[in-house]
Amino acid sequence: MRKSFLAENPSVLWFIAILAVFTLVVTLLSEVTGVGLISTSFVKTLGKTLCLCLVAIAMDVVWGYCGILSLGHFAFFGIGGYAIGMWLMYARTEGIVIESFAGQPIPPTPQEVSDAIGNQIFGVVGSSEFPLIWGFADSLFLQLLMVVLVPGLLALVFGWLAFRSRVTGVYLSILTQAMTLALALYLFQNDSGLRGNNGLSGLQNIPGFEDASQASISIVFFIASAVALAAGYVFFAWIVSGKMGSVIKGIRDNEARVRFLGYHVESYKLFVFTTTAVVAGIAGALYYPQAGIINPGEIAPIASIYLAVWVAIGGRGRLYGAVIGAAFVSLLSSWFTGGGAPDINLGFYVIQWTDWWLVLLGFSFVAVTLFFPKGIGGLFDLLVRKQS
Amino acid sequence: MSMLLEVSGVTVTFDGFRAINNLSINFAPTELRAIIGPNGAGKTTFMDIVTGKTKPDTGHVIWGDRNISLLGMSESQIAREGIGRKFQKPTVFEAQTVRQNLAMALKNPRGPFAVLMHKKTRSNAERIEAIAGQVGLSDSLTRVAGELSHGQKQWLEIGMLLAQEPRLMLVDEPAAGMTPEEREKTTDILKEAAKTRAVVVVEHDMEFVRRLDCKVTVLHEGAVLAEGSLDHVTSNQTVIDVYLGRAHA
Repeated sequence: MRKSFLAENPSVLWFIAILAVFTLVVTLLSEVTGVGLISTSFVKTLGKTLCLCLVAIAMDVVWGYCGILSLGHFAFFGIGGYAIGMWLMYARTEGIVIESFAGQPIPPTPQEVSDAIGNQIFGVVGSSEFPLIWGFADSLFLQLLMVVLVPGLLALVFGWLAFRSRVTGVYLSILTQAMTLALALYLFQNDSGLRGNNGLSGLQNIPGFEDASQASISIVFFIASAVALAAGYVFFAWIVSGKMGSVIKGIRDNEARVRFLGYHVESYKLFVFTTTAVVAGIAGALYYPQAGIINPGEIAPIASIYLAVWVAIGGRGRLYGAVIGAAFVSLLSSWFTGGGAPDINLGFYVIQWTDWWLVLLGFSFVAVTLFFPKGIGGLFDLLVRKQS
Repeated sequence: MSMLLEVSGVTVTFDGFRAINNLSINFAPTELRAIIGPNGAGKTTFMDIVTGKTKPDTGHVIWGDRNISLLGMSESQIAREGIGRKFQKPTVFEAQTVRQNLAMALKNPRGPFAVLMHKKTRSNAERIEAIAGQVGLSDSLTRVAGELSHGQKQWLEIGMLLAQEPRLMLVDEPAAGMTPEEREKTTDILKEAAKTRAVVVVEHDMEFVRRLDCKVTVLHEGAVLAEGSLDHVTSNQTVIDVYLGRAHA
């Protein structure tokens, strides 16, 4: 009677196995082992893609399973990035400042050190004072806590207000867009305390590992991203497979019915919204050290919409669908916009993919929605049906 | 005998229209009751009030042995108090199996944490199988609810209601769209359920009400017009004028 959750969900084991093999192959072919078939920059791209897959499965749980079309989950991703970025930037600048003071006959006072760090970090926005929100920036542990706590608390408060008032459907989507837009606009300001539109940079340099090459740092982050994706996948698969999954899917299909069964729907929505926001924050904290830079543009409303597009193209309501969608579309996107795709000369007009990629993506989204509502993941149903 | 549910002096107005007009109606702990009335008589609004979906302008809704008021409670709290509702259109979770539907409805702790940590147990499985047997879905437990016939969906929803173990079942047009054999079976299920709890059936179909063979309340313009046996109310001249006369005209 009591089968373990993994035995009932063989797709989870398949996913972990494929991810493990992929991680191993990439590691072996990277520059770290000396093979060098995969360049360090491509390892970073792959590592970032894994983080995008992680935030995509969070999006799939909140939208595909629970029916809440949140168009603000990339904001939580960005907050996670900012939270880890603050420590990375502070700790690294501190190291540089202390080194520069080393030659002086009189050792600097702590105030001088702090001023010098502040000057280095906030000089670009014409300030040298540490804003209040940088209070924990000197502690890796506390900033890691922030990676989880800030998105979690924001989602909890926002979700509580929205769900309590029974805001649903398109109205909720608009509210979440407003939230991410407000956050981006706030961060764009120079006096936001997070360097305005400059954002946080130099995040690829990990304090304490100054001697390590980017090749080995990138592999460490790549593996860490793969482990996080695997853990997130198992965690969400566990949530959506049992009775919790029944209730969540019930809320998606008929919220009122679930309520009349005696379930407090708002608590469930809040649980899903907050947990997925926390996972999005963790994904962001792994993504931005690989990207090297985070600025408010990353949190722009369009980013959260892309997230929904990935999940829709990959296939809503199945976790591997979200992974496929995020990986496929984001890699294709960097191929097209990075000049990988050859321009097409029509004689009278040259189609440059850097400009036309968005048009192509838009059409694909419309086509998938109209003709393949199950997305790419739906192809697996055909395979399974053929076998049986 | 103390009442399970006492509705007294309830009035609801929608944009100036009095959907419920000073309605008073009581239900005993174990009884089968049919509520009939023309369209717009306030039958569904009455259910909405009892289940917490609609808040009345005035009046009292008193529940249970402790005489608590249902008016300040949310839909889910009222459901946990022991009031189950079946909708007019069968509303089951079509993407999930019959077993999952019943498991969700089964009386168990309803908090998110309890649900997250929920383990499938032998006793729960037995309860689900017993209920499936009661509503004739024993062979369909692993089927997806969306594949069921219309009548089977109605039974599944009644089964979900039974699984909640409510003390009061509000059932909106359970026989709609059913074949005569299915109706007969539905009558049996409801009569059986009413032995241990109150079952209130809202119905249009006089033939079905006759089969139920129970006390009947006639609603008209948001108030009780007549109450008693079916023969009693159908011989009432006002009832004939406002409801039956119109129906047979």
